[in-house]
Amino acid sequence: MSLNFSRDALPLLLVAVGALCLPLLGNDYYLGVGFTLFGWVALAQSWTLVSGLAGYISLGHVVFAGIGGYLLVLTWGAVPIWLGAIVGAVGAGLFALLVGLPVMRVRGPYFVILTFGLAEFAKYVVINIESVLGKFSRLLLGGPALQDLYWVMAALALVGTFSVVVVRRLRLGAGLIAIREDETAAGTLGVPTMRFKLIAFALSALLPGLVGAMFVLRTGYFEPLQAFDPIISFTIVTMAIIGGSEDARGPVLGAIFLVLLSELLWSNFPQVYMVILGVLLIGFVLFAPNGVSGLLDRLASRSLQRPGVGLV
Amino acid sequence: MDILLSGQLLIAALIIGSIYGLVALGLNLIYGTMRLLNIAYGDLVMIGGYVGYWLFTLAAISPIIAMLVAGVLTGLLGAALYFGLFRRQLSGRQSIERIEANSLLIFFGISIIIQNVTALAFSATPRTYNALDSLVQIGEISITQSRMAALLVCLGLSIFIVFFLRLSPLGLSIRALIQNRTASQIVGIDVNRVQLFAFVTGFALAGLAGALIGVTEQISPFMGFPFTIVAFVVIILGGLGNLAGGLLAGMLLGIIETYGVALTSANLRSILIYGVFILVLVLRPEGLLQKRRMT
Repeated sequence: MSLNFSRDALPLLLVAVGALCLPLLGNDYYLGVGFTLFGWVALAQSWTLVSGLAGYISLGHVVFAGIGGYLLVLTWGAVPIWLGAIVGAVGAGLFALLVGLPVMRVRGPYFVILTFGLAEFAKYVVINIESVLGKFSRLLLGGPALQDLYWVMAALALVGTFSVVVVRRLRLGAGLIAIREDETAAGTLGVPTMRFKLIAFALSALLPGLVGAMFVLRTGYFEPLQAFDPIISFTIVTMAIIGGSEDARGPVLGAIFLVLLSELLWSNFPQVYMVILGVLLIGFVLFAPNGVSGLLDRLASRSLQRPGVGLV
Repeated sequence: MDILLSGQLLIAALIIGSIYGLVALGLNLIYGTMRLLNIAYGDLVMIGGYVGYWLFTLAAISPIIAMLVAGVLTGLLGAALYFGLFRRQLSGRQSIERIEANSLLIFFGISIIIQNVTALAFSATPRTYNALDSLVQIGEISITQSRMAALLVCLGLSIFIVFFLRLSPLGLSIRALIQNRTASQIVGIDVNRVQLFAFVTGFALAGLAGALIGVTEQISPFMGFPFTIVAFVVIILGGLGNLAGGLLAGMLLGIIETYGVALTSANLRSILIYGVFILVLVLRPEGLLQKRRMT
């Protein structure tokens, strides 16, 4: 298995080195930023598995994080915390398999709005379950320390990045890209399209399940409107579009960029931040559909060509 | 059980249904002619709401006039967006193949921008105002003037538009574009002009409906999203691009929602709407009322 440095090794190195360096700054603020950053990296990489490779754009990926968080809350006190988080991930994966059967048959823009509707549906179901149970927001006291959560999240980001690098090299990855380019043709040529799409959908739900559980542990409380907030889905999409969703590099770049931007602006000027987010999204879709990652590729190929022209 | 049979509930269902029908009609015009998925649609409703609010609060202008102003303003916004962003996308051969997915993301960006600029300008605090709030009595049923106006305007306008599309040359060109884009170009329809008209009309309808909705509901920068969703449910129920089907579907959703909530509880309203939405998409993505697939 040969690694392309810029496409595969670079994002892995960025995450690994970043994870090791941030704690050296010796400040809880940086640990917190790192925790958020790695959470977004893991989410955006998971999204890339199904939406970047197979082209099935999910506008409701928050649903898996929400389910992960909710299952952790439901098992709180009954099982050890980390086991609860794993239950969350498995639950999210099973949910993806179950709804994937009908949902992955729906194509194109219908799929996009369907994923959004599904996430909102799940949100209101959880809200109603909670109100029937008489709980309106739950406090979770005595969770793990920030330091532990930080390392778990860094590991999740690394696993997410690695999974995109690996899947792209498997038959599965080739099949998914073929589905994105022309699903009918891919099916005719023997790609088991439905099975591949289901596997990709379920894989892309596992990490978000864990990330959602980590977010709940970090804040120490669970509130459905927040855990299933559609803005989370949109941010994932925006990150992947800005970074590029062709390989593992894009989501890392996109996440770093947006987290930095949000650290600068969110606390003081949340609305300005959101407006900039909107402008960036439109700009990238119109003028750089392959994101920063695609721009880098173009830059690299141009600088390679230039000396050749000079020699002639 | 008595409540279910009362005229009061029926008229409530009709009012909601007619608003849904009109809101969805604008969205459907834009999708049908250009394959643009406008998920900023609810935000135009919100703009209409604010126009109505400010005109009434600052100048005591009746919502009936404000709704025209709102329609003109959102229509102008539509024209600006059409020339600034979409005309180029719609004319390139490569970009038109990706237009559905791209337009969704572009309009999402527009939606975030509109919401947050509004929040910056007017703060995120919800607002209400009382206009046209005297009661009208029809037999045993009593409704406020504002809701009565909403019912009449939405129904009247929807019917007018459906006839306009069937009878006038411009309307026929729009329907031709919905049925087959390439063929309409071949027979000499000025596609660019028809698209601009459909785009601006779609935007104007949202603003106009918004001014009416704003009288009866709280206005806030983030009020638009539920309307986007409802509009999507309606046009998918009625078939994307099928304008008359959308009107019927609007009524159907209004009835499902009103009676569903009356039978269960108000908490289940969102579950009901999203449930219908998911079921329709999974079972019949081409729409309940669509007879044949569009090419």
